[in-house]
Formats: sequence, C-alpha cells, structure tokens
Amino acid sequence: MEIFIAQLINAIALGSVYALLVTGFNLLVVVGGIFPFAYSHLVVLSMYMCWFAMKMTGDSVVVGILAGVLSGTAFSFITEPVFRPLAKRGAVLGSFIVAMALSLIITEFMAQKLNMGIVISFPQSLQGKEALIRFGTATVTAGQIATIVGSIGAGLGFFYLLYRTKQGRAFRAMGQSPFSARLLGIPIVKTRIYAYLIAGLLGGISAVFLAMAIGTASSSLGDNLALKVMAVSMLAGIGNLGGGLVAALILGLSEGMVLAYLPGDWSQAIAFGMIMVVVMIRPKGLFGTMA
Amino acid sequence: MSYGSIKALRGVNIEVNEKEIVVLIGANGAGKTTLVESILGITPVEKGRIMFMGEEITQKKTEYVVASGLCLIPEGRGILPLMTVMENLQLGAHHFKGDTSENLELIYRCFPVLEERSKQMAGTLSGGEQQMLSVARGLMSAPQLMMLDEPSLGLAPAVMKDLFRTIGELNSAGYTILLSEQNARQALQCAHRGYVFETGEIVLSGTSEELMHNQRVQQAYLGGVV
Repeated sequence: MEIFIAQLINAIALGSVYALLVTGFNLLVVVGGIFPFAYSHLVVLSMYMCWFAMKMTGDSVVVGILAGVLSGTAFSFITEPVFRPLAKRGAVLGSFIVAMALSLIITEFMAQKLNMGIVISFPQSLQGKEALIRFGTATVTAGQIATIVGSIGAGLGFFYLLYRTKQGRAFRAMGQSPFSARLLGIPIVKTRIYAYLIAGLLGGISAVFLAMAIGTASSSLGDNLALKVMAVSMLAGIGNLGGGLVAALILGLSEGMVLAYLPGDWSQAIAFGMIMVVVMIRPKGLFGTMA
Repeated sequence: MSYGSIKALRGVNIEVNEKEIVVLIGANGAGKTTLVESILGITPVEKGRIMFMGEEITQKKTEYVVASGLCLIPEGRGILPLMTVMENLQLGAHHFKGDTSENLELIYRCFPVLEERSKQMAGTLSGGEQQMLSVARGLMSAPQLMMLDEPSLGLAPAVMKDLFRTIGELNSAGYTILLSEQNARQALQCAHRGYVFETGEIVLSGTSEELMHNQRVQQAYLGGVV
C-alpha cells in the first residue's frame, strides 16, 4: 500500500511538471499564435545550462537553479523574432515546421557539442533525494515535495497573472481576437514578447524541476518531452489553459503508474496512444480549444 | 483630418471638427470601413496624410493612435464574448492613465444594464446590450474622437432609436463622433455634417440638412422623398 502511495506521489510530481510545461506551451499557442514544438527542447537546453553552472561552481544548487530559470527565459525571448513574421500572418503550420527545424538543430547541438553527447547526471544536492517524510517502507523525498509545491506555486502565480491583472487580460484578449485586441490599443508585438518571456520563465522553472524529478538529461529528452507536452495539450484541447492542467495530471499519473508496474519505457507509447485516441474520437480535446 | 488615396479609396478628403457629429453614408463596400480602419492604422495608407489634433498619425501603429485619443467601435461590436462585461470595460481603459473607477461609475450610471450584467460573459448579452457594451468600452478611455462603424447593424428598430439617441447624448456631453452608417436617415438626423461614399470616392458632402434634401441622396439612400 505504501509503495503505491509512494508511486502515486512520484506520478503527481511528474504530472505537476508536465502541467507547468503545458501551461507555457499553451501560452505560446494562445498569445504567441504559433505551434511551439521546440519549447520542450529549449527547456532541456536550460537543463544543460543548469548542469554546466553547477559543474562550474562546485555543485551550487542556487547557481544551478538561477542558471536554469534565467536561461529558459532568455532562450524563449531569443526565439520570438524568429516566429514573429509567422505569427503576424497567422501561419500556424508554418510555425510548426520552423519549430521542428529548430528542435532538430537543438537536439543535434546537444548530441554533438554538449558533454560530448553523453547523458548528463544532476548532482545529488539538486535532486533532493533525502527523504523528508517516511511512512512504513515508503518515503517522500525533498525533491518531490519541492517539485509539487513549486509547480503549484508557479501555476497559481501564472493564473493570478492571467485572470487578475491588466497584462493577463491583454493576453486573453489577444488569444480570443487579435483584431479586437489591436483596436483596444493593446500593443501586439510587445504583448507577444511578454508571453514569450513568461513562457520562458515557466520553462526555466520546469527545467529545474525536471532535473530534480528525472535526475538526468540527454539530447533525446527534448523529443520525448515535446511529444508528451503535445499529447497533454491535445488531450485537453490546444490552448485550453485550465484543461491543460487536468490533462497534465492525467498523463503524469498514467505514466507514473505504468512506469512503476510495467517493465520498459512505455511512457512515449502512452503519450502517443492518447494523441491517437483524442484525434480520432474528440479532436477538440476533452475540454475544447480556447483560452 | 485630411486623407489621400489608397487602393480601396481614391482622393478622399474629410474633416472632423471638435464637438461635431460627422457621418459617412454609403452602401456596403463603398469604402467607409476602409477609411476608419486606415485612420486607426490598421490598413496602410499609400498616399496622403492623417492629422489628429495637430499631429500627423499617418504611419503610426494602432496602439499609438489609440493612446492619442482615438477609438473605433467596429462593425459587429468587436467585444470579447468569452470575457465578462466588466473585463471588457477594463480592457477599454487599457491605455488610460489613472484611476478608472470614476469612468466605470459614470458608465454604469449611463448604462445601468451593464452594471447588472457586469459579471456575465459578454457573449450572453443581447445584440443591443452588446452594442451598448461596445460603446461603453470605447468611452472608458475618455477618447477625443469616437469612431463608430455601422453601429446599427443587426439591431431591432426600437434599439436603433436608443442607439442614435445615445450618440446624440454623448455629443451633447462633449464627445466628437465620426459615424459610418448604412442607415442614412437616422444617421443624418443626428449628425451635423456628412460625406457620401460610392465605390471608394466621396461623391457628395455638406451639412446634414443639405444632404437630406439632396435629390440624389434621397433616391439612393433615403428611399425616395424624405
């Protein structure tokens, strides 16, 4: 029983990181007006930055976290001008192609140039494997608690921004009708840049939590995550921020539980399976597509 | 404001003076919407200039034009259906520097229905209420010039009367209004001056009195003798 609970906590931790990732993804879809396939790859790149920073400073957790968060934000910001002309024309498919190209470049770069393509392993100090709570033979680690609490915190912060602030209203207006937003005098390009910055921030935070949760990273992690983020987003309904949270938990739970009880890495198959089912039965997703 | 030629419009020259109501009359596709959208900076201008309160705004971005005090209430209202009435109004004041609670109070006093429905999704309002919301939203930024594009579209006759009455009241309160309307009769009755558009050109202009008694206007837009 306790093992089950421990696995459950693990699955929830995983799900909460997916939730952050899908929120950043959806923000770029809704306000950025693109299909940000390379988002996860930039997150993995941030994980590498975190790892490098820790290596250079004798495994300093603070530096690692800062490096991850800041690089996530910076990377996203840098890609905005690339997608700007596509967003302007409403070329979503075009943006998907460009994003895929970008993801290939990033993956190859990580495989060839970063740590000579060898899997990187995050120091124990970051992984937070010390058990904080014990019950019976199972434990809940500091890392898991930090991930869950941190993700909830970041998520709440984001939703506060979206629903209770002026900028959040501008985001939602742009997502619903770029034309109306423009008439209201909402600065279109500036608002998109803010969206990229916030999505990048969420991505950087996710990078740190992923480092905690998974403990390692490699050049193939980008594709792996991108697939799952797409699955979650489509399961909920692309762009549906609230629904994305629920769907993220569903995927996290399924993946976590399957990982615990089935041999082999079925996680990608589950994600693909979900996309398949959604596309065939309910293309708009469980909760419908909309901000 | 004077204006020059662009693809859909040729040799258009109009002027709106403070505290006036100026109306643009013409059929659908005659170029009225193109004109107001060009003023806002949404449609690019090939030749000519747009002057607003002594400043040239021809090539300026929409956000700059709106911040300068122009607002457009578009055809079809342009309200955001998935946001509440209150949020739509707050968005109207996006550029307003200062406390918006006074503006909100004023608007609720003029349009009590909106206060009743402030927490409702804007998409659930009736056509007339949405039009009210659209106008109220424009007012939230205390604009120097309000432009309304076909506000009477889709409204029941009784609601239309209310609309034009409101436009008149706003003008009495000091608002300058540029109105583009297919409903020529009611529009001319409330305006000071007007311009008649046909296929991208201005074919007639004058005071509303002159236009109402003009034979051509009567035949084409007023359904015979007034």
